[in-house]
Amino acid sequence: MIDFSRVQKELQECSRDMESSGIKVTPVSDNLVNLSGTIPGPIGTPYEGGIFKIDITLPDGYPFEPPKMHFVTKVWHPNVSSQSGAICLDILKDQWSPALTLKTALLSVQALLSAPEPDDPQDAVVAQQYLREYQTFVGTARYWTETFAKTSSLGVEEKVQKLVEMGFPEALVRSSLEAVGGDENLALEKLCSG
Amino acid sequence: MASEAQSTEISSLFERFLRHRDMSLFLPFFLGFTENMSVRENPENPQDPDQETPTNSSDRIILINPFTQGMVVIEGTANLDSLLRNVLATKDGQPPASKASVEAMPSFKIDVEMGGGECAICLEEYEDGEMAKEMPCNHRFHDKCIDKWLGIHGSCPVCRYKMPVDEEETDNKIRDHEHEQRREIWALCLQRHTNARIVLHSISNTF
Repeated sequence: MIDFSRVQKELQECSRDMESSGIKVTPVSDNLVNLSGTIPGPIGTPYEGGIFKIDITLPDGYPFEPPKMHFVTKVWHPNVSSQSGAICLDILKDQWSPALTLKTALLSVQALLSAPEPDDPQDAVVAQQYLREYQTFVGTARYWTETFAKTSSLGVEEKVQKLVEMGFPEALVRSSLEAVGGDENLALEKLCSG
Repeated sequence: MASEAQSTEISSLFERFLRHRDMSLFLPFFLGFTENMSVRENPENPQDPDQETPTNSSDRIILINPFTQGMVVIEGTANLDSLLRNVLATKDGQPPASKASVEAMPSFKIDVEMGGGECAICLEEYEDGEMAKEMPCNHRFHDKCIDKWLGIHGSCPVCRYKMPVDEEETDNKIRDHEHEQRREIWALCLQRHTNARIVLHSISNTF
């Protein structure tokens, strides 16, 4: 059974110091099992300026079991799957401790963006690029940040227009955007998958 | 011509697998490189630095990851048993604390005047009259909270101090699952090279 009173406390604490940490956690559903987190890309990295959305699911045993997290925003990083957004981070697996919180876990994910560990990769292709062609890696990571992690600044109408220009019918574009909470990339994925 | 088209087809299929990271199809093959294979791959060669300290060939395991083009060589005295133990321990995190060690922890009634604060597990403020326990590392938690955690992982939530483990239980667990988990363990070795004495070589252009 999830310790909901603890989850409530965590959410309050998160919103209290959101200004300083830049880390946001909001419930997606009323049951507090599905949450959504965002972390700003660390300064001085190819992820700088981007806002990265992370999907959080609390297992039954939380906080005795780690929260399940994966990137919703596409990220080019050796320890994050470029396909699924899966994160390779020990504290989200066997090194979890109940003294960690959603906020500290998200801070760790943010730290992972600053300090990739290519020897323990989640995405072998990205890791290989990081090790062999570092400049290409930086370029790709920056491009992905620009393309996928910065679009939220666009207004809804601009997003609609952009997607309509791609050839999707306007009504469908609007309903898809609404269904995914205004995220342009998710809407595109939804439109493409029919 | 036909064969050329066929080979293009195969290579594009392979590329697709790479792109989709559908490694699971290939993994069993590559995990199959075991001790015997390594013996054949490493004929006696006096110039090979690996041969400087002659080791029993059955004590060497080579694991190859075609995607990072990396190779993990596990050699020396690490027999499969101790390797299994190490990997199992890291795979599931710290095993549960032994019952005796949990029972031996001093428990006490909380007196807020003597020092309040909150329990790091449930994040609730301590209240007068609640029961708490102190770990050997001096970290304190509600008794219910810490008992539950130590039954899952025997480490301090705050400082990761390791509690004693019930050796017998761990051994049985290893014996029971040894056979099924062998393949899985090798896969893990490719990803985690922290335990055991493992040498990591990069072998470019082999695949």
